[in-house]
Amino acid sequence: MNAAIAHPFAGRAKPVYLNFALKTFQSQAAYKFEYFVGVFNGLLYVFIFTSLWSAIYSGLQSGSDTPFTRAGIITYAVFAMICRISMTMEDTEISSRIRSGDIAMDMTKPVNFFLMNLSQTVGVTMFHWFTRVTPILLACFLAFDLEVSLEPARMAAAVCAWAMGYFVFFLLNFAFALLAFWFVETFSFQLTKYALINLLSGAIIPVDFFPSRLRPFMEMLPFQYIFYTPTAVFTGHLAWPETVRLMSLQAVWIAILGLLCSVMWRSAQRKLVVQGG
Amino acid sequence: MNASIYWALLMASIKAKMEYRATFIFFLFALIFFYAAQIGTVLVVMSKFKSLNGWSIGEMAFLYGLLSFSQGLTMLFFSSLNNFETFIMQGTFDRFLTRPLNPLLQTLVAGFEVSSVAHFFIGTAGLWFGSRYAGVEWTGLKLFFLALVITGAALIQGGVRIAVSAVAFWTTRNRSLVHTIVYSSKEFVMYPITIYSLWVQVFLTVVFPIAFINFYPSHYFLSRDSSAILLDPVLQYLTPLVGVVIFGLAYALWVAGVNRYQSAGS
Repeated sequence: MNAAIAHPFAGRAKPVYLNFALKTFQSQAAYKFEYFVGVFNGLLYVFIFTSLWSAIYSGLQSGSDTPFTRAGIITYAVFAMICRISMTMEDTEISSRIRSGDIAMDMTKPVNFFLMNLSQTVGVTMFHWFTRVTPILLACFLAFDLEVSLEPARMAAAVCAWAMGYFVFFLLNFAFALLAFWFVETFSFQLTKYALINLLSGAIIPVDFFPSRLRPFMEMLPFQYIFYTPTAVFTGHLAWPETVRLMSLQAVWIAILGLLCSVMWRSAQRKLVVQGG
Repeated sequence: MNASIYWALLMASIKAKMEYRATFIFFLFALIFFYAAQIGTVLVVMSKFKSLNGWSIGEMAFLYGLLSFSQGLTMLFFSSLNNFETFIMQGTFDRFLTRPLNPLLQTLVAGFEVSSVAHFFIGTAGLWFGSRYAGVEWTGLKLFFLALVITGAALIQGGVRIAVSAVAFWTTRNRSLVHTIVYSSKEFVMYPITIYSLWVQVFLTVVFPIAFINFYPSHYFLSRDSSAILLDPVLQYLTPLVGVVIFGLAYALWVAGVNRYQSAGS
């Protein structure tokens, strides 16, 4: 077995990974109908949630204590959904390769499995940025009064927060996918993950609306660092100290999940060798 | 006489699903957790804001309960339609056509979905807490109408699934369409449709009438002021009728599709 694949993070970033990303981009472009459905779905969700917040805020008495203004929550809803669309990942691919045994073929390749998957996911993401995020963003700018200040420092922070949120998302998916080494059926785990992401990540409801008793617990889970942090940074919802604090916690979660994935991958490889491959 | 054949096919498909019992039970829990989280998003918003277009937290739970329960009934019978394109692509459907049994019924019994227990659980919880918090007084008549509404709502959703599946007779592939029309549309009616602009309300009533699944009948059960309903207060009683009509139209489309499929000889 090649030494390069002994550790998920081993091996140098080479043009080969850029190739994985580009190939995935091309294969995604082959499905035109899927594409239109994807854009349509994204617009549908933006429409549903902006309608929901408009209805709630127009029923609100003036002087009510809320962390968002009406325009602020609409802006949040639009960018949270865009953030979510920009981070979709084919998350049954790895587990189905493990179940079918194709993973053994991946391991014999002279590339790092973790980096290969990361670059493929980046390929899908690039595709989504060009084809889904851009048109939906344009449509939203035409349809809504969005409150965005293009202050350079904030934009730079938002790009970093998005990239770190993306890593948290990728590592979380990777860890859940690796569970297929130990369990025959992993769909239930995926379902649990989706449930937690839907409820706690800030994709649908900003974490500010949760009861304050629950907030400390939510900070100790990785979910709000995926969509809430980048969206709240980008829309200017957070003051600078809070921005720095949440982005540091993003970094901490990347380290924790990275370590977890690394440990899982090592013991999975040992397990695979025990079975004789 | 034919009924026993369908029954045997049905039991075979259930046995196949239940083969790994621990996995299945874990799946049920995950499913319940997933839908609990979904209604959780609604409850978090409602506990923060108290009212959504005049709907209280209990009324929202009732709305979700009606949707979820009828969806459970739909999934119980119509789940195999979700991957109908594989029946076409792998030739399974050709085998159905060679038997002297109804092809649609054969398709349906091939994938009887036992996991819809999760929907019944969540749906019952929604209806129970919803009627408690919204102060619904149940009478025999209301319970009878509830059964009719749930059946009608399941016929609407089943009809939609049949129509979407029938598209596969022409296009072979329909997976993305299934995803958008069957799953995403559910999000629309998790909230009272009055939050949408007028043309969307009309669309959800006349063109793609999923507002009849839960929004209109809820007015009757919750004794809500029905003069505020779009068009006419009579809409709150129409779910069973709409269900029969949609199902009939969808079945006609399906039969047309089967005939076309046969004549293509593929």
